[in-house]
Amino acid sequence: MFPLRVRSHYSLMHGTASPAALCRRATALGYSGLALTDRDNLYGLWSFLSACRQEKLRPVVGAEISEPQGSRLATCLVKNAVGYRNLCQLLTKRHCQGLILAEDLPGRAEGLLALTDDLSLLQELHRQGVQAAADLGSQPSAIGRELRSWALKAGVTAVATPKSVMGTAEEKELYWLLRAIAGNTSLSRLPTYEQSKSVWALESADEYRKRFAVWPEVVPATDSLAEQCAFTGPEFGTVMPPWRNSGATEKGDAATVLRQQAYLGARHRYGDDLGEAVVERLEHELRIIGEMGFPSYFLVVHDIVHRKGPDGLRRKRRICGRGSGAASLVAYCLEITNVCPIKYNLYFERFLNPGRTDPPDIDIDFAWDERDEVLAEVLGDFPGHSAMVCNHVVFQPRMAIRETAKVFGLPDAEISNLTKRMPWIFKGGEDLPEKLSRLPSLRDQDFSEPWPRIFSLASRLIGIPRYLSVHPGGVVITPRPISEYVPVEYAVKGVPIIQWEKDGAEEAGLVKIDILGNRSLGVIRDCIQAVKSQGTNLDELHWNPEEDPRTKCGVAKGTTMGCFYIESPAMRLLQQKAGTGDFEQLVIQSSIIRPAANEFVREYVRRLHGGAWQPLHPAVGDVLDDTFGLMVYQEDVSRVAVAMAGFSHAAADGLRKVMSKKDKELRLRDYREQFYHGCGLSGVEKEDIDRVWQMMMSFDGYSFCKPHSASYARVSYQAAYLKHHFPAEFMAAVISNQGGYYSTFAYVSEAKRLGVTIDYPDVNRSVKQWTGHTDRIRVGLQAIGDLSKSLIGRILTERQKKDFVDSVDFWSRVQPADQEARALIHAGAMDSLDPSLNRTMLLWQWAAFQRSRIQAVNSSLFTVRLPEPPPLQPPDAVTLLRREFAVLGFLCRYHPIVLTGPSPRGLIKIDLMPAQVGRRIRCAGWLLTGKLVSTRTGETMEFLTFEDDTGILETTFFPRTYERYAHMLQSGHPYILTGIVEEDYGAVSLVVEQLSRV
Amino acid sequence: MLWERTLLHFNVADFAVAVERVVDQTLKRRPVIVAPLGSARAVVYDMSEEAYQSGVRKGMALCQAARLCREAAQLPPRPELYRKAMQGVLKEARLYSPLVEHGVEDGHIFVDVTGTHRLFGPAPDVGLRIRRQVRDGLGLNPIWALASNKLVAKVASRLVKPVGEYIVAPGEEEAFLAPLAVSLLPGLTVREVDRLLEFRIGTVGQLAGLSRQQLMVPFGSRSTFLHNSSRGIDTSQVTGMPLETAPIDCEHVFASDTNDRQEVEAALLKLVATAGQELRNRGQVARRVGIWLRYADSHHIVRQASTHTGTASDFLLRRLADLALERAWLRRTRLRGLRLVCDRLHRQSSQLSLFPETKARSLRQERLLGAMDTIRSRCGQSLIGRGKIVSAENHGTVSVAVSN
Repeated sequence: MFPLRVRSHYSLMHGTASPAALCRRATALGYSGLALTDRDNLYGLWSFLSACRQEKLRPVVGAEISEPQGSRLATCLVKNAVGYRNLCQLLTKRHCQGLILAEDLPGRAEGLLALTDDLSLLQELHRQGVQAAADLGSQPSAIGRELRSWALKAGVTAVATPKSVMGTAEEKELYWLLRAIAGNTSLSRLPTYEQSKSVWALESADEYRKRFAVWPEVVPATDSLAEQCAFTGPEFGTVMPPWRNSGATEKGDAATVLRQQAYLGARHRYGDDLGEAVVERLEHELRIIGEMGFPSYFLVVHDIVHRKGPDGLRRKRRICGRGSGAASLVAYCLEITNVCPIKYNLYFERFLNPGRTDPPDIDIDFAWDERDEVLAEVLGDFPGHSAMVCNHVVFQPRMAIRETAKVFGLPDAEISNLTKRMPWIFKGGEDLPEKLSRLPSLRDQDFSEPWPRIFSLASRLIGIPRYLSVHPGGVVITPRPISEYVPVEYAVKGVPIIQWEKDGAEEAGLVKIDILGNRSLGVIRDCIQAVKSQGTNLDELHWNPEEDPRTKCGVAKGTTMGCFYIESPAMRLLQQKAGTGDFEQLVIQSSIIRPAANEFVREYVRRLHGGAWQPLHPAVGDVLDDTFGLMVYQEDVSRVAVAMAGFSHAAADGLRKVMSKKDKELRLRDYREQFYHGCGLSGVEKEDIDRVWQMMMSFDGYSFCKPHSASYARVSYQAAYLKHHFPAEFMAAVISNQGGYYSTFAYVSEAKRLGVTIDYPDVNRSVKQWTGHTDRIRVGLQAIGDLSKSLIGRILTERQKKDFVDSVDFWSRVQPADQEARALIHAGAMDSLDPSLNRTMLLWQWAAFQRSRIQAVNSSLFTVRLPEPPPLQPPDAVTLLRREFAVLGFLCRYHPIVLTGPSPRGLIKIDLMPAQVGRRIRCAGWLLTGKLVSTRTGETMEFLTFEDDTGILETTFFPRTYERYAHMLQSGHPYILTGIVEEDYGAVSLVVEQLSRV
Repeated sequence: MLWERTLLHFNVADFAVAVERVVDQTLKRRPVIVAPLGSARAVVYDMSEEAYQSGVRKGMALCQAARLCREAAQLPPRPELYRKAMQGVLKEARLYSPLVEHGVEDGHIFVDVTGTHRLFGPAPDVGLRIRRQVRDGLGLNPIWALASNKLVAKVASRLVKPVGEYIVAPGEEEAFLAPLAVSLLPGLTVREVDRLLEFRIGTVGQLAGLSRQQLMVPFGSRSTFLHNSSRGIDTSQVTGMPLETAPIDCEHVFASDTNDRQEVEAALLKLVATAGQELRNRGQVARRVGIWLRYADSHHIVRQASTHTGTASDFLLRRLADLALERAWLRRTRLRGLRLVCDRLHRQSSQLSLFPETKARSLRQERLLGAMDTIRSRCGQSLIGRGKIVSAENHGTVSVAVSN
């Protein structure tokens, strides 16, 4: 019997098994094919199709469609391409507008087979000519008897279906857990029907045959129905975004317009006299782009970046092209990327080449706060033809443990106590409880009941999809209505999303454009604006920050906290060690720092400082000479594969791509064999092959291509330039735009170290953002913890009318909530209003103001007059600072380490560290941030960054030390550190041996 | 004219521990933690002063408490024993005054000895005598304080905790309180204390320095209370609540917190049985049943269900209790405790039904309950009960507040 109705875990919270597991199970049970029918979606279509290919099963595509208002449900199976289109449109309608099966299904029934166990629905569908069958479920039942007898009379087929929500019966507990999570309840309080009925696993054909022995015609009918579903998956080819010629300024087809635009841009970039190199390269690129049919793609992206204003003129937004697209001169001339590929030697073939079968994508960063606007414009320009790519959010270890523990009724605080201390890189997998108990950061955790049971259930939850979210920026634009390709629904934030992730979209051939948000573009924009508003002129078109000596010197010293992409401790240390400050080296550096490439980083520094080196292998030749014989960029993997193992360009590109994929093991195994075989043929020794393959595997996870690195390095230099020339304006912009590598606290400290004075927030002077001017920064109102957006808005509008005279005037006009008024007082934002009152008296006056409001509801008619406050003492210094710290998260004038009281004697200040190299010292430090890494032997260690009022210190906790102290480490707390000061190529760090809380 | 009042306040510090130490003298030399044992997720019920100093607090997870105070002896709570001990203390106190007020087995007792000078001699002597009798008779050593009202007496005994005595002479209340920290004043919420500290009002004297109008500004309707308290004025009476009107109040504390429906329902049945029996003993019916749920994260919620006629039958009480539970139990966080309060009580009507045959079922139920009550009163509470109660595994502690 062909299993026609099977749910996978993509029926979010209504199923337990993955499509792959179901396919394996189907093969094991001896089925020749399988129908995957998830609830209202095709989320799992592509993993189902690939699992079927692997298990050599015949796939049947379908979905259960339920009515959003009502309990009716029909299973739709696809017979052909028309049916697929109809199914997508039905599902889209189900999610976007609501759907009534009896009304909507008949209009889109062509190519579909509908199964239902609702007799009245079956009758209606049959009457309206829909090819419908009676779904008798997985065993004969009373309802089934009724359905069957009607079906026999009416000449309708009656079929048996597994109606399964699990792969095997062992998953029952997991299923209940999912239901309890979905229903926000506990296992024992799930409605009892959920515990007994309607929970079926996929059984063998024999089992169903046995069950349906009383109705012998059912099983053969099921098989013959399955025969009709010949559709084995959609085949669209490459689906490009369509470009529509608006016809105003440009004439001709896409290729002609692209040529005009490219030359126009080139003259803008390089002047009227284009050199031979530029023309030659442009012609070469335009030819390939034209041959591959991509001109419209470039033009669509160009239009996104250059938005037409209300006056009909296009204006360029601040962007940063990322990904391999930056290797294209055409893209540079269209101003959709920002580094010159000729100057920096970027190969166009990395982006487009005739051998490439999969569509390339152009990714663009916009300032983070402009991104939503850009997306809205794109979706608005192509209504019904565009949607965003989705993410399938699956249970990660932390979320799985959290949700399971909630079902078990543990209080939130207890759960957070555990999950908060799980390292972010923690991966679940087999024996989760064992792995957790070995975590050093959980050393003092209580693992008694019910935790063991929670862990064992939670570990089975990991990897099950829970809900859909929006991909950070992927947009798909299609020539025909998008709901003919893929079902579309709306995400919580209101944007349309397709039901597939980016991999699925790619497999379907849908070309996506990535529109991403980038904080640093906002930082640069705000900083330049601040600088210009003070009268300094900065010509952005001819701005060459990478040539500026002060910037280069800063980069070489690693004083780049706050600068895009080069502010992390690891990056700053690497710059110090490299000590060059050159653009070319920074391009290498921002690519070489990857999780699995530590030893190559060391080797890079050694070779950079003149250390001797040999090429990777004689067969590689001079391919890697630019990077001292090391594989640094993604494309180096392909280039080495071509040089050593004789890969074709397309195959080498495939190898590079597969490394960044999630489920790569299988495909990677094929490439590995091919690589070893190829190398063997060219006579490479076994050890050399192993070594090179290992090096290639360090590109696992994420890695960059050179164009991307160059494009990012350009933004890094712009940021570094601004930091080293306009520190106050720059740091203010960094903090205002938020979301950097460090906390606001750390940036404030950095600003102070740069000699900038931090001024208290002030209701008469601060705006929402932080503002920098020469050597002072005024704290923005956004920094005060408890202020709502609307209050900040009220303060600014009221102040535009006139300044606030005193505190009563402020409170009367702005009407803050209690929490907000107190926060303003504690932050010192009210100090300038009533200089005669201390903060205690201000608090008292606030209480009096509130009382007066309660007593006289109509007080707005008269000016409020408050009695004199009693003579209360001002808060003592420590309380004052504590409150300031609680509200702001930092101190304006001091470093909070002063709040910890007198420190023990013999502590070394951090700025004196370089003089202590080689000695064992003690110092006090405030923990800023940390990064966990795994050693080669699988042990955990951590690099932590501390600071005091004089400087910032990088430290290393080797595995033993880490294990001993991990449970004590919490950022935002002071510690006393003991350890040995080390120096490596000029970079000073502390190897910690002992740690204690202050 | 008002009599000048004379009040004694007795407090046996850490009552449960004190009682346990009487039972087992060896415990005197080591810290003690009282908590349900043998369950992984038990919380501390009470602890000795030494354990408190090590950071142990009531309601803290036992495993955490055990880590903080490794040398502590751990004992299971025995509410029955504490109730008996409390009755013993009360008995001694009642020899000197009919006006004795106390809480639920917490070791606090107020005794109003106003005007008993001729009968028993000066009040300090009475204090000493009661203390001595309690110490000699029961082995407990209460702190005691003498003052003209409950407030001052309580502050005085807080001052000398854990051992000692304090006498505040009439008229000296204000001077006595002035240098003390505001947090010592009873009846102030944590929020109010924080608020005062925010205004840098740390001592009762500073508080007394503010006028009533000024206190009105931050504290509104509470200003009178604060104003009086800061001057040592407290006019509340010592009252022993008469038995007849006191609501029936019983609580089940789960040994291990739970969100299992069966377990919670079993505990509720147990409480219903206890409350029902008490009602029938008193000859009363209840018209309202309240359920108090205490969650493991110390949130709590109260919901009620009421009936027009009033009942003392377990069957009807249970229906009301189920209804109240359904209204109260909305979260899935585990429960620590479950409290059942039957109030709006009145006397059971002895009038017989006009149509006895329609009441056959309830008559049968009444007879059954009567028989069960008899068995329980003879052979103990746990001998007979509903099947659901017996099958539930999580044995917790049931305590009933019984007034004099």
